[in-house]
Amino acid sequence: MGGGAGTGAGAALGREALAYVDSLHNLARYLTGNASDADDLVQETYARALKAAERFTPGTNLKAWLFRILRNTFLSAYRRERNNPVSGGLDTVDPAAQGVADDHWLRDDMELDRLRKIVAGEIEAALMTLSDEARTVILLDLEGLTEVEVAQVVGCAVGTVKSRLARARLALRRQLKDYAR
Amino acid sequence: MDCEDVRTYLLDDHRGQLAPELAREVRAHVERCAACAHDDAAEHALSELLERRLPQHPAPLALKRRLAAQWPAPGAARAPWWPRWRRAVAPALAAALVLAVAAPWLTGRLPASGRGDGAQALVAEAVNDHLRVLLSEHPLEVESGGIHQVKPWFAGRLDFAPVVPFGGDVEFPLKGGAVGWFVDRKAAVLVYQRRLHPISLFVFRADGLPWPARGGERIGGVDAYRQTARGFTVVLWRTGDLGYALVSDLDPKELATFASKLVG
Repeated sequence: MGGGAGTGAGAALGREALAYVDSLHNLARYLTGNASDADDLVQETYARALKAAERFTPGTNLKAWLFRILRNTFLSAYRRERNNPVSGGLDTVDPAAQGVADDHWLRDDMELDRLRKIVAGEIEAALMTLSDEARTVILLDLEGLTEVEVAQVVGCAVGTVKSRLARARLALRRQLKDYAR
Repeated sequence: MDCEDVRTYLLDDHRGQLAPELAREVRAHVERCAACAHDDAAEHALSELLERRLPQHPAPLALKRRLAAQWPAPGAARAPWWPRWRRAVAPALAAALVLAVAAPWLTGRLPASGRGDGAQALVAEAVNDHLRVLLSEHPLEVESGGIHQVKPWFAGRLDFAPVVPFGGDVEFPLKGGAVGWFVDRKAAVLVYQRRLHPISLFVFRADGLPWPARGGERIGGVDAYRQTARGFTVVLWRTGDLGYALVSDLDPKELATFASKLVG
């Protein structure tokens, strides 16, 4: 940890920040893909947050601030080290290239039946095939962050969050067909 | 409003986040468009899937403890753990300790040797002090770089020089130390560890305390008193002017092994 551990700002932020550790770890786990790296990512996130505590504006969303630090830490320290065969993400593929079969699947009532039969491991595996960005917006949305907060975390315009989330969820539905059949 | 627009709004509609007029427009489109109706149902199903079945990965306890130790709670940045704790519960603890420990002297009815009343008070005090160490977010005021780093740290902080013959090893590493209290006097608190079990050693002036005269056992070269209380094993002994209280939830035999290392 940095030298900010004993600062008033760091101490004042401490207990509240630690209340979000489970949410942060969950996102870290889905970004890094393994428990050990998730632990390291969360620890580094808190270390950076502590150093930057005096730059946090009281009254703003601490949870979103921590998520932003975690995401930036991931991008700078973890993502570049990975050799991800689906780097860029399946959801970044042009939807038209997904083919007629996918479109048919997404209009078929079979999709609804099978979505309801998906088990925990399958939804997790399908989520992990998406890009880091798609996973992030889906998980931040699940955490209850508003579009404004998600935009702050991922560093995009507020207006693009809705469309990014819609694309990410559509990509997830496409992936789920492989697990549902 | 075309299908693409409607699908962008479906999630907001599910969450009741659309303005009434826009929500009516979206629902009207969904009712007359089979493709959007399917999307609407599929989005519902996906939301349910994510909310109910997506595995969650909360932070492990060890990580939480590490973070808590590194990031102090409000108002705790510089104050030692023991004075902070004392301020919170001092009145109740003081009253209990006075009744449990001081009353026998005040009434002139010092516990008879071997009766165990005084020993019970010492055991209870040791367990309480150990619990304070466990519950404190910052139990250690000095992190261990070895006994030669920890022992000098106590200089000037205590009114005695703690004698600690055992500085830890691979089996029982020394984690660090702090200044605390034992009954009515300052104590050197040294925290060791055995696997995941923390072990607290309190070293303090032995005079005036109701040391048990019977019920003891020989550990190393000293007469020690061992008792289990509230799931913790406590080992008490005195060497010269100093008293020692060792506390842990470790297996009693292992704690006795550790005690034998301490007494030298």
